[in-house]
Amino acid sequence: MTTSKKLLPDEIITSFKDEFSDKILDSRIEKHPIGPKKTDMIQLWFTLDRSIFKDAVKHLMKLDKKAHFSVSSGYDIEDRIEIIHHFSIYTGTKGDEISINFTVPLPKNDPTIDSISDLIPGALISEQEKQEMLGVKVKNIPKDTRVFISEDFPEDMYPWRKDEKNVDSMARNLHEPSSKNVSEEKKENADEKEEKQ
Amino acid sequence: MSAETMEKTSYKVPIGPIHPALKEPVMFEFELDGERIQNADVYLGHVHRTIEWTGMRRNPIQILYLAERICGICSYCHPMSFALAVERIAGIEVPDRAEYLRVVHAELERICSHTLWAGVAAHEIGFDSVLFLTWQVREKALDLTEYLTGNRVTKAITMIGGVRRDITKEMVPKIEETVTFLKNHFEKLKKIFLDDKTFQMRSQGCGILSKKEALQLCAVGPTTRASGVKKDVRIDQPYFAFGELDFDYVTPDILTDEINGDVYDRIIVRLLEVKQSIDLIEQCVEQLTGMPEGDIVAEPKIAKLLNQLKKIEGEGIGRMEAPRGEVIHYVKMNKKEHPYSWKVRAPTYSNILPWIPMLKGEQIADIPIVAASTDPCMSCTNRVGIIKNGNKAILSNEELHRLSVEKTRRLMQ
Amino acid sequence: MKFSMIPQVISQMVKKPFTNAFPSKYIPPSVTDFLKDVENGKATMIPPIKTPENFRGKIKYDTEKCIGCKLCIKVCPSGTIEFKPEDKKVRFYMSRCTFCSQCNDVCPVNCISMSDEFLMANTDKYAEELIVE
Repeated sequence: MTTSKKLLPDEIITSFKDEFSDKILDSRIEKHPIGPKKTDMIQLWFTLDRSIFKDAVKHLMKLDKKAHFSVSSGYDIEDRIEIIHHFSIYTGTKGDEISINFTVPLPKNDPTIDSISDLIPGALISEQEKQEMLGVKVKNIPKDTRVFISEDFPEDMYPWRKDEKNVDSMARNLHEPSSKNVSEEKKENADEKEEKQ
Repeated sequence: MSAETMEKTSYKVPIGPIHPALKEPVMFEFELDGERIQNADVYLGHVHRTIEWTGMRRNPIQILYLAERICGICSYCHPMSFALAVERIAGIEVPDRAEYLRVVHAELERICSHTLWAGVAAHEIGFDSVLFLTWQVREKALDLTEYLTGNRVTKAITMIGGVRRDITKEMVPKIEETVTFLKNHFEKLKKIFLDDKTFQMRSQGCGILSKKEALQLCAVGPTTRASGVKKDVRIDQPYFAFGELDFDYVTPDILTDEINGDVYDRIIVRLLEVKQSIDLIEQCVEQLTGMPEGDIVAEPKIAKLLNQLKKIEGEGIGRMEAPRGEVIHYVKMNKKEHPYSWKVRAPTYSNILPWIPMLKGEQIADIPIVAASTDPCMSCTNRVGIIKNGNKAILSNEELHRLSVEKTRRLMQ
Repeated sequence: MKFSMIPQVISQMVKKPFTNAFPSKYIPPSVTDFLKDVENGKATMIPPIKTPENFRGKIKYDTEKCIGCKLCIKVCPSGTIEFKPEDKKVRFYMSRCTFCSQCNDVCPVNCISMSDEFLMANTDKYAEELIVE
């Protein structure tokens, strides 16, 4: 049975805390005033333990069966990787939408997380992207291929990371304007023109 | 013929990465049985340009111009979402005049994008003269953009905390002249697209996306509104001055009283949105002429703004409704000049997975119009490879377009 | 069956075309050389449509007023501007410029402005016309 009543932000946080007690590591409400009349835009941020991540998504879908998954972003910081999933609920009426974000910290020596593609099929491309960009392993993902990076990219290098596995060594600066380059190129162009004539 | 049973096998057709109907490189692989598609698979990544990696090494003002070049048509929404995210982290308040100015530019871009799409859809069906007529209407909208911002496509009018140029009293007559031109030609376009029998025959019942699939695959933009789902960031979570203005979700039952989720419905939704945008621009210009002259940006001195942004810490999200759907940017700053993390999600990435249920059961000649009806935004292509019982044949751009046009001529007889 | 389009098609056969004709009869090998020929009277050109005011075209730089503060280099998104340490002025490489006019906005003494010139195509990245100092 799904509840069709819309909960207030505090009530949403209480319902999560009642269900999962201490596995919710942190939660906060952010209200931003928008527009000339300064109406509030509400965002909820949760930090969850990875063991309850999939159950938390199921609980969210109970609050609103039309929950919308936008994208998942991530970064690495010190010795852990943090993945953030951005959802939003209560679409369909003016001004009611609330953004909900789940942050899941993963240790770098074991970066595994559950897949939610069976609950929300639209999350497939985001999960594939996290695998190739950050080195996260998603359990039970339906399609385990690379999505944005080509197949012949080296295996152990992750573009978004800032530690030793990053790709700075592969970056090339294709052009730097400086007077030295300009005079060399002009000489080359002048030689080519002479040869042609 | 002997009495042995002949086995029927389906053959796989890879389409892409360079392809006629999509103005973007995407690789499909279709499993065909005769002319009907049984299954489809999508592969991406052909124009990966490492924009997020580049952005993490630049300061926020430089990122605004980098974000503008992510896409040519949604070139206003990406820097604006980034600016919204940074403003929410830093707690910058945008002046009222700037909020209305931002709405005018956003709706003008929506008109340019939807008229471009209408021309492309007509071209795929086979009516080239409708293409040129629609793009003639678009030229007037582009002229207005050039007058207001200095350039036709890359507007460069975003600044963190407001906009860079104002709309003065001398500019208002030109805006009103363009709006009148657009209103007069809109009726003509509506009659051609929606009342013409050939358009109806070609697009009704084709490329259907049901409401349940649209919700599960998290589709966004006009693609999902045409299937009956009411999802529009401008109304659900208002930003800029949209909370003050008077408008509603655009779904096909406003015009035809029924929702099928096919290509015809998507044409209806986009044309009605053009009308809605013209109306919104009029409302905003009326508000602007009534307001007193004021600031258009929260902090006019850019060196001071950069110093302020060097000291903030936190994470923020900016969401906007681009012509194709929802754009979302996530930014994390930690007291340095360059952001710690930046994630961009363009709307087409959510609209790719819905292609698979839309294309099952369709004919090969319908691939251009169905793929173009979701308005993909990735880049351009030109070849189709067909593998038939192990023999390869390459269909070129002209061939696939010819197949689509021939089907139209067959239907017209 | 294009009944809805037939009145439009007939009316367009008698009206003037909406688009402006191409400036010259054949494509010139170098646009900047072609413009020089037009000025000297050696070639004729159909003029392009006039640009509106505040159009963001080629950069005009007033060397006298520049104080060498390097703020323009800090905000340029494409690495167009190079600092000349010996006389504390800058140089612009127009082949890299994106015409965003951010340098114009940030300059404290207003020595940079955008003209309305946009015909700058050339095969040589470092030609004389494309370096502004």
